[in-house]
Amino acid sequence: MILATAILDAHALLQVAYVSLIAGVGICVVYAVAVIAVTRSSEHRRADRHVASALYAALASIAVAGCCWAIVAGIAIMTKK
Amino acid sequence: MHSDLLIILVVATALAFDFTNGFHDTANVVATSISTRALSPRVAVTLAAILNFAGAFISLKVATTIGTGIVDSGAVTMPIIFAGLIGASTWNLATWYFGLPSSSSHALIGGVVGAMIAANGTAAVQFGGLLGKVVIPAFVSPLLAFVAAGLGIVLTYRLVARLRPGPAGRGFRYGQIFSGGMLALAHGTNDAQKTMGVITLALVAHGDIAAKHFAVPGWVVISAASAIALGTYVGGWRIIRTMGTRIIKMDPAQGFTAQSAGAAVVLAASHVGFPLSTTHVMAGGVMGAGAGKRVSAVRWGVASNMAIAWLLTLPAAAAVGATTYGAASLFGSGFLGPAIIATIAIIALIVTMMRRARELAARPAGAGS
Repeated sequence: MILATAILDAHALLQVAYVSLIAGVGICVVYAVAVIAVTRSSEHRRADRHVASALYAALASIAVAGCCWAIVAGIAIMTKK
Repeated sequence: MHSDLLIILVVATALAFDFTNGFHDTANVVATSISTRALSPRVAVTLAAILNFAGAFISLKVATTIGTGIVDSGAVTMPIIFAGLIGASTWNLATWYFGLPSSSSHALIGGVVGAMIAANGTAAVQFGGLLGKVVIPAFVSPLLAFVAAGLGIVLTYRLVARLRPGPAGRGFRYGQIFSGGMLALAHGTNDAQKTMGVITLALVAHGDIAAKHFAVPGWVVISAASAIALGTYVGGWRIIRTMGTRIIKMDPAQGFTAQSAGAAVVLAASHVGFPLSTTHVMAGGVMGAGAGKRVSAVRWGVASNMAIAWLLTLPAAAAVGATTYGAASLFGSGFLGPAIIATIAIIALIVTMMRRARELAARPAGAGS
């Protein structure tokens, strides 16, 4: 008894391709922004440039929040199957 | 009685395969974290074991694909599954011996397909399912990881170009704890399910579960999760060395990029139920992260050895699976044939391990494993 149809699921393969490319590249860029922002914030704080430090800290928070969202989204994708 | 003994032997062999899967594929999860010193080896392996265990409980979609999409599940018998598992475990141990990161998933599928062909001919194999769900994703997934990691590292280097190496490296090492964690979770989700699928197929063949209502029992989930976590904790250090240092010499940004791209591909594939190889994906990610920096940074000789092992995995595991089925059949269709084969396999394993231990003892200190 055959339980599954033997076909190539091109739609699913395409979905894997674009989701993994967007997510893979996106998380690298967002995390790199977080690293830059944390480093710059710390440099400006040491140089007593508090406004610039606060702006970089805010940028770092947004980027870190983006990374956390990606982790949560990844786990949600796994659990929703 | 013989049927009950046989199902116990098949489940034990499946869990032994699951252990080799964790043991063999630990490298995918931890090698980059260890080589960039983001985590110490023992911490990396322990974290990977815990997350592999947790990941195995998250989804059962890949288990269902293994159980229903590749071979005619109505024609599956316990000796076929046993022979397939022996084929897969043999290939896993052979590639471990030579330090080659090959795919445990493809070894398992190849072993079962080979044994099925030996038992029932080619009509019992769903070649469309095999092509669409295994072979094509096997070629596409490492390319995707390569491209994602390559693009990711190019953009990352551009963004962090003006930072001093110290803070940037530290930042990416912290990031690797999370990217490695996600990869371990995705690996548990993807790989432990393959053994669950095979054990459930055996239970269908034994008559414990109706083929129409293919569902993975809870005890199968727990035992498969435990076996893969234990294998991961023991760790295959030879393959960790190949993945972590022999393909490229990695910096923390490359390690983070390779792991993030790998996790993205594995999660995306798990979501649609493709049982792809985390080994292929991570190797593609590592190569992409290396080539994105400089094409000559990738040791293409090592990469081509791995590619040859990948190409050989399905046919080699199928050949061992078919031979094992043929040999077991000489003793009838009951428990005796698989029991003799299992005994021979255990003796061969012990001899191989002892030989390997002697080689390591004879090697000068610091020569590596």
